[in-house]
Amino acid sequence: MSIMTNNASDATGAAVPPGEPTPDAVHRAGDPVQEKKMRRRHRWGQIDFKYSPYLYVSPFFILFALVGLFPLIYTFVVSINDWDLLGGAGEWVGLDNYVAEISSPLFWNSLFNTFSIFLLSAIPQLLVATFIAAILDQNIRAKTFWRMSVLIPYVVTPVAVTLIFSSAFDEKYGLINNLLQTINIDPVAWKSEVIPSHLAIATMVNWRWTGYNALILLAAMQAVPRELHESAAIDGAGSLRRFFAITLPSIRPTMIFVVITATIGGLQIFTEPKLFNPSSSVPGGPEREYQTTVLYLWDLAFNRGDFGRASAVAWMLFLIIILIGLINFFLSGSIASSAEGGSRKNRRQQRIAHKHAVQMAQSKIASNGMPGSNGTAGEKGGESHE
Amino acid sequence: MKTSSKTKLAQSVALLGTLALLATGCSNAGNAPKADAASTDNPVTLTVTTFGAMGLDGLYEKYEKENPGVTIEATNIDTGGNALVDWKTKQASGAGLPDIQAVEEGWLGQVMAVSDSFSDLRDYGIEDLKSQWVDWKVEQATDKDGRIIGYGTDIGPEGICYNSKLLEKAGMPSERGEFAEFIGGQDSTWEDYFAAGKKYEEKTGKAWFDQSGFVWNAMVNQLTEGYYKKDGSLNIDGNAELSNRWKMLADATEAGLSSGQTQWDWGKGQAFLDGSFATMPCPGWMLGNVKGQVEGAGGDATSGWDFAGVFPGGPANWGGTFLTVPTTSKNPAEAAKLATWLTSAQPQAAAFEAAGTFPSNLEAQSSEQVTGSNELTKFFNDAPIGQLLAERAEGVKAQFKGADDSVIQEQVFGPATIALDGGKDGQAAWDEAMSTMKNLDIK
Repeated sequence: MSIMTNNASDATGAAVPPGEPTPDAVHRAGDPVQEKKMRRRHRWGQIDFKYSPYLYVSPFFILFALVGLFPLIYTFVVSINDWDLLGGAGEWVGLDNYVAEISSPLFWNSLFNTFSIFLLSAIPQLLVATFIAAILDQNIRAKTFWRMSVLIPYVVTPVAVTLIFSSAFDEKYGLINNLLQTINIDPVAWKSEVIPSHLAIATMVNWRWTGYNALILLAAMQAVPRELHESAAIDGAGSLRRFFAITLPSIRPTMIFVVITATIGGLQIFTEPKLFNPSSSVPGGPEREYQTTVLYLWDLAFNRGDFGRASAVAWMLFLIIILIGLINFFLSGSIASSAEGGSRKNRRQQRIAHKHAVQMAQSKIASNGMPGSNGTAGEKGGESHE
Repeated sequence: MKTSSKTKLAQSVALLGTLALLATGCSNAGNAPKADAASTDNPVTLTVTTFGAMGLDGLYEKYEKENPGVTIEATNIDTGGNALVDWKTKQASGAGLPDIQAVEEGWLGQVMAVSDSFSDLRDYGIEDLKSQWVDWKVEQATDKDGRIIGYGTDIGPEGICYNSKLLEKAGMPSERGEFAEFIGGQDSTWEDYFAAGKKYEEKTGKAWFDQSGFVWNAMVNQLTEGYYKKDGSLNIDGNAELSNRWKMLADATEAGLSSGQTQWDWGKGQAFLDGSFATMPCPGWMLGNVKGQVEGAGGDATSGWDFAGVFPGGPANWGGTFLTVPTTSKNPAEAAKLATWLTSAQPQAAAFEAAGTFPSNLEAQSSEQVTGSNELTKFFNDAPIGQLLAERAEGVKAQFKGADDSVIQEQVFGPATIALDGGKDGQAAWDEAMSTMKNLDIK
């Protein structure tokens, strides 16, 4: 409070025209105590100016450190110890937990399951989502109704979805096997064979996420300029041709976003396999047919009580996701630039040309000795260095 | 200089604080804090976590009425497996444990490893009550230092549930006594039980028992030493008794005696009604589950389920529960008081009436509620369930449960019995179980 009022009085002091010193200022100049006070105030103002922005942005960093960074580091600490769930920290074992997991067939099985379910869900999901989005992008009746109904599966909680699908995929009493039997097809072991169980879980994921992705893609499609479509149509391009030549290239950046979120979600899949057969004594199927990596690490931590190895798995999964994220990043970089119509090489040439031009201008300005232009030239120079 | 003395002061204050905390912590663990008894002026809320069908739900209200000021917040978790994960999570984080935690016999290996995080109930007068339970129940709840950490609720003496209507239809003995003789009578062996099953299967083409998992659990649980020896070492590889029993079970499943149902699911109870299987090993607490499954699928007492007081291979006990008071409880004295009441004769008899959980409390065992007629006996064709279970409880030996007992049961032999039901060869399934055990690093 006091700082605020002091600043306000300074401001009024500054507003008084020069040559007419305020009585306050006269008083200040003569009094060493006041001078000291003012200097302190000035210093405080500087500190305020320098550091309060950090204070304002700190909540994010504090929260991130608490709920993001700390667990990450702590998990690593746990992973290099022989850590029992109930017994707590044991001996320091270095990377033994990692070695044990890398040589464990159960770990690799979980990775296989994760990627298999991911591919079985992500690919059909994106194809169907694009198709639905393309249809919704047409001039159809009751647009809002269709768009809303596409989103409904996303609103249902995953637990409810899993319970319904789990009962439909039941091997002996499930709806789907009953239907199969009425058309004389042998019942499928949805919960105890590898590929059928992966298909069943992928179905749940697809059911839930296809509509969501379709809406995101639809938003991107709506942003494609209609003129492009019109001129292509005048040139004689059919709707299929227009879809592949105009719509798809235009929504690439959005497509990349959808792919990345689907990847992260797919690699962390837990609820669906956990609740697919809740009565199973082994999470993820009797022979771990659909035990994904997150489910595996949960089992390690809470059923088998080996916190150290579970943390090691968590860290390896973290690294795998980062790796795939990096691949996605580089992939998206090249696609994005090609979508802009210029290759990487082209852009570099442009940048070099720009830099050259700026240098020319700078030297000109320097020789002319034009005042006040140094700042802008310097700024430009700095920019060109980036 | 000034600042350093200040820090020193701060340090010593902090140190003192820590010491004080430690001291209070120790005193909490050592002797019970004397909190004021609950009353309307001093209201106390007690949280209770149970699982499965323990039959305690109807009792809380009565206790609340008789003890003004006490509010009970009860949570019941569907299966023991889920309850174990729940307990472990909370035990590991050290927060969220209830005032009274139900602990299953199968968890004892893990519970005893951290037995000092449970209140020693001798501080709350359990010594004077010891004789009210069957002796081995108290022994199970005693840790290596002699602390008693659990009040005994139910035990799981096993009999056989069977569907009299199905047997009648097959032209086989369906009356309780005749059925008992049919599967070998009081000296029934597993050979007798499976031989009867083969006869039934030949006549009807239907399965004899629901799935191999429960049969196998019973076969292991009735041995003096199961997956572990008494000294705590593993007792699986090279255990002739265990592998013989496995072979017997494998022969039975090969002959089509198992219906291959999903454990704890039974097609949402449908399998109890559609004649998929005729018998099932039933510990006392399973009776409540069977009734619930049948009723959940729309059936009732006319479905023909009955209970016979025989069990193949001698007396067997599966499961059973204790009520414990974690040291994190803020009102251990009140919690112990409630748990003492819940495990006393009258409430235990009421719990049996509600869920068929056969009490370890001797007085309750002989009470009229347990021996007499009730909803459960009506459902099971007026079988004198209480008397039959009391007979089945005789001669039961408590089996030592090792640290990974539940992991072995659920993750090693669980999948192996499912594989048997799926038509896998007995030796192959056993070998796979052994390799699973290796993969799980069970030593």
